[in-house]
Amino acid sequence: MSTVTSASAPAQAARVSEPRDIGAIVKFVAVLIIALVVVSPLFLLFVASLKPDRFQILADMGSFRAFWVTDPSLQNFKDIATFGGALPFGRYLVNSLIILFCTVLGGVFLNSMAAFVLAWGRLPGRAVVLTGLIGLYIVPQESIVLPLLSLVNKAGLGDSFAAQILPWMASPLYIFLIYQFFIQVPRDIYDAATVDGASPFRIYWSVFLPLSLPVLATVAILLGIETWNQYLWPLMVTQTDHARPISVGIASFFGHDSVYWNSAMAASVMMMLPVLIFYLAFQKWFVSSFISSAVKG
Amino acid sequence: MTSHESPRLGKRLLSHLGATSMLAVGLGAGLAAAEAAELKVMFQGDPYEITIITDVAKRFEAANPGTTVQLINTPHDAYNEKIGAAVSAGSLPDIMQLDAPFLANYVWSGFLQPVGGLLDKALVDDMTASNVSQGTYPIDKELYAIGLTDSTVALYGSRKQLEELKIRIPTSVDDAWTRDEFEAALKTLSTAPGVKWPLDLFRAYGTKTEWITYAYEPILVSMGCDVIDRTSWKATGTLDGKACVDAATEMQNWVKQGWVVPQSAGQNQFYAEGRPAALAWGGHWFYAEANAKMGDDVVVMPLPKFGDKGASPNGTWIWSVAKTASDPAMAGKFLSFMLQDPAYRDAYKAHAGFPGLKSFAAASPLYADKGAMAVAFEQASKSAVPRPPHPAYPTITLAFQNAMTNIFDGADPQEELSKAAKKIDDDILDNDGYQPFGQPE
Repeated sequence: MSTVTSASAPAQAARVSEPRDIGAIVKFVAVLIIALVVVSPLFLLFVASLKPDRFQILADMGSFRAFWVTDPSLQNFKDIATFGGALPFGRYLVNSLIILFCTVLGGVFLNSMAAFVLAWGRLPGRAVVLTGLIGLYIVPQESIVLPLLSLVNKAGLGDSFAAQILPWMASPLYIFLIYQFFIQVPRDIYDAATVDGASPFRIYWSVFLPLSLPVLATVAILLGIETWNQYLWPLMVTQTDHARPISVGIASFFGHDSVYWNSAMAASVMMMLPVLIFYLAFQKWFVSSFISSAVKG
Repeated sequence: MTSHESPRLGKRLLSHLGATSMLAVGLGAGLAAAEAAELKVMFQGDPYEITIITDVAKRFEAANPGTTVQLINTPHDAYNEKIGAAVSAGSLPDIMQLDAPFLANYVWSGFLQPVGGLLDKALVDDMTASNVSQGTYPIDKELYAIGLTDSTVALYGSRKQLEELKIRIPTSVDDAWTRDEFEAALKTLSTAPGVKWPLDLFRAYGTKTEWITYAYEPILVSMGCDVIDRTSWKATGTLDGKACVDAATEMQNWVKQGWVVPQSAGQNQFYAEGRPAALAWGGHWFYAEANAKMGDDVVVMPLPKFGDKGASPNGTWIWSVAKTASDPAMAGKFLSFMLQDPAYRDAYKAHAGFPGLKSFAAASPLYADKGAMAVAFEQASKSAVPRPPHPAYPTITLAFQNAMTNIFDGADPQEELSKAAKKIDDDILDNDGYQPFGQPE
């Protein structure tokens, strides 16, 4: 009896787990396909960046040879990693990092201050300001490029870092995101700090900011991605290499009758690497930031 | 006395010295200000061209002390947007490069000034007829732009393959394939071993570029029509006329027969492994790509003669002077210096630049007699047709590109060309005819 029971139990278990196994396999294959679709362009980009012959890259396109390099070389990277000459890519990369750092730092500070005032300040017509602010979010960047360009030129800020940092630090979306977080902080905390004699700025700086690290990280990540990928605005506002970011620099490899695919690929890898490293290091924050912005935004 | 006077004298001397110094400094500054000039030069190009232009600007500065050249290197794909932004912001550069077919639009809009009188006469006299045509505004017949280079499209093939299949290889424009010969060649090549498509029309360049109008309009012209009537400047009756509809139907048939490389296959099918495409309808720049992979087997042939006459495209990025230039004479001096600079020319020669100046052609072995691209250069004097020099060109090219894309995808040619013609005429009407265009001379 016991033998029968012990023999039938695994068989029963197998019967039960079979559909689950098939489901897991299907899921695995689906995930694998999606992963391949996502990773293959990046892999192709990386492989192509190791081929110094631009004509070879073109010849290999459309076949599996595009994903293989027989004679890998770092020559493309050496050629573009310069701080002088006609296309100083090293400089473009540093420029991008400067713009990114200043925009994110200033953006987190400005947006959170504005959100604090909207959430806790004694501002007349606060609801109107807030509604207006949310309304501003639907205005696309492209529609304000020309008036903004005119404004920047009149202010004497053309072709500068400031022209690429100042207009984009404050954003209705990020103010609203932080505002939503701030209004959830219990009133008692604010009142206790006031009773202790803290000024509004002190309350913002010492109480609310430390409490808001998750939402500030969300804003920093979203603003960082937005800034790093900016193309239209820096294209319009920069004239020389002085403050030109890498996103605009890459476009210079696409001429009217020739494309320097080898250099473009190497430059794209250079542009992608900091983001990739940052993403791998802070993967958890990235995921939570996208979830929180989706839920709250 | 001396002891009393000397301080006074000293003071007087000092004051004189001070005044003289100030005068000298003032005069010097004034002179320097008079001599100092800054030229803003906006251009586009690949890294090779950017280096060439950067270097020639440095040589110009060295040859003209006190003058600085500020180079505004703008990515090719966003060049027109950048010009639009510069116009809106009132900050057009002194010198700007522009794509030849857009010249009429810029002149009509009042952005440019004639350059004939600003350039060295020898340089203007050295221009090829095709170069003059791409830089001339049809209303006042003045030259508004100049280039060292020009462009064309030729037919590329494999000498070995064509000889094996006993297909005649034309060697001059006069000798170009006729329509029947061209179609017979496509038919023969379509059944040749290893050939997937007998013809690459480079559909992969897509509609974001000028390619469709640039490379296919000559087929229309060769068949006896055009995208617009160049006298009345009306598209209806011309673009949707019988000759153009026949031409578009003909091209659509090539696609229907499976003879044309599809847009999704990329730009490399002529020389990719196994050579899936037998012939390539490619720009002069394509020779370098093909030659790098196929060596001397690449043979360059003139575009076919579909009707009584052959036609080929021309036009490239040329140099102009803005109407608002702070010092037009200096701008002309810079352009004259650059286009005659030996190192600048050598750099373009090394990169197979298609000659727009006769002296440059004579010094370019690739395009000279017996050169591999000689027949392509022959087209510049015998069959080159500029794209319509009209302010509505941005609309003309967009409408034609969309129509041809739809026709290639199977749409009715008559319907598509009629829609395109209406779109063009509507734009012209909306702008009151872009007067004085369309007015009796």
